[in-house]
Amino acid sequence: MMTETQKWPDLKINGVGKATGGRYGDVLIDGVCRVAGDLQADRFKANGKLKVYGHLQAHEMRVDGIVHIEGGIGGEHFVMNGMFKATGDCELERLEAVGGFSTDGMLNAGRVNIWLQTQSKVKEIGGESIRVRRQTTFRNSKLWRWMMPKLVPELQTELIEGDDIDLENTVADVVRGNRVTIGPGCTIGRVEYRTELKTHKTAKIEKEEKLG
Amino acid sequence: MDRELISKKDLLELTGISYGQLYRWKRKQLIPEEWFVRKSTFTGQETFFPKELILARIDKIVNLKEDLSLDELAGKLSPLQYETAVAHHELVERNIVSRLVVERFSTRGQLEGSESYTFEQLLTLFAVDRLLQDGELGLEEAGVLAETLREHLPKFEGKPCELLFARKMGVSTFALASAPSDVYYDAGVKLVVRLSMTEIAEQLRGKLG
Repeated sequence: MMTETQKWPDLKINGVGKATGGRYGDVLIDGVCRVAGDLQADRFKANGKLKVYGHLQAHEMRVDGIVHIEGGIGGEHFVMNGMFKATGDCELERLEAVGGFSTDGMLNAGRVNIWLQTQSKVKEIGGESIRVRRQTTFRNSKLWRWMMPKLVPELQTELIEGDDIDLENTVADVVRGNRVTIGPGCTIGRVEYRTELKTHKTAKIEKEEKLG
Repeated sequence: MDRELISKKDLLELTGISYGQLYRWKRKQLIPEEWFVRKSTFTGQETFFPKELILARIDKIVNLKEDLSLDELAGKLSPLQYETAVAHHELVERNIVSRLVVERFSTRGQLEGSESYTFEQLLTLFAVDRLLQDGELGLEEAGVLAETLREHLPKFEGKPCELLFARKMGVSTFALASAPSDVYYDAGVKLVVRLSMTEIAEQLRGKLG
């Protein structure tokens, strides 16, 4: 039975394939795929290796594997497990990322949950609640860092702004928020907070300032 | 054009909203991307906003969000549409548009005070007034411009557009084009004014408060 939501065609790729962008209903990709152009979908699911040359917009997104986007993403709910890299801005209501999440643009999301397994780099993060956790145990010795810098589970960013911020293993220039928790392994240039600030004893903070 | 800017920190303090709300509104396109002005300060990069515009906008969002969902709000905040009704005397008293323009381009009902001005009508007057005061066009041309805006501006349905005013060999012509657009003329044409109606609307809105 055709329903209102099924008026767009579905895109399904198994194995190795290429697709053009466009507007789809469901997008399901298993394997290695390249998408040329902006892609818009109601639901988007990808397993394997995916490269998108354009903006990715979908209501629900679930990604397992390696994803590279030459552009930004937008949507309601984004769940990923693996490596994600984008070059543009990411605007989401909810982000749940396990692995590595990097973008050259800005991450603007209502709720951000990142479990770090590898190095992640985001230019700026803004949102309501932002939580960064380290998931893998990593020998935080100089030798390991020197040998495999990409495997250091660490989030690097210039700026984090939000209401509730809870960080681990994050390197940031500036963190601004209402309730801020700076956990183990953080190196922060400057923290500005309104109501409370909790810091772990191993966190390095150059400057703290209470506002308001 | 220099506008007074306000830093993000001061803005949040002044309005009592949080970072989360600001980012959420930006995501919902309630606050246009262009208003986020990046500047470097001694504490690093900071974001600034055009003060009057952002304060008016936040005030509006805060007042309306009780009754409307954010998505509905986004539709309401299209830059060229604004619900307002201003009476004739108010227009002149508050010096929104000069008396000359008001008297020349208003309907009889508006002058007598029985009808008020809609935002679109005001926008027309405001744009004409602005160009007249800049000395870019004469009164005759102002009439043509007012006619053009009155007839064609509604067709954009609130989408961003630009006003182009060009002269060739003394003959003047007006055009409205959707923005952003590239327009090229032949060599004899002199483009006198290129004006973003969105910007004009914002200025007018600022004046109306």
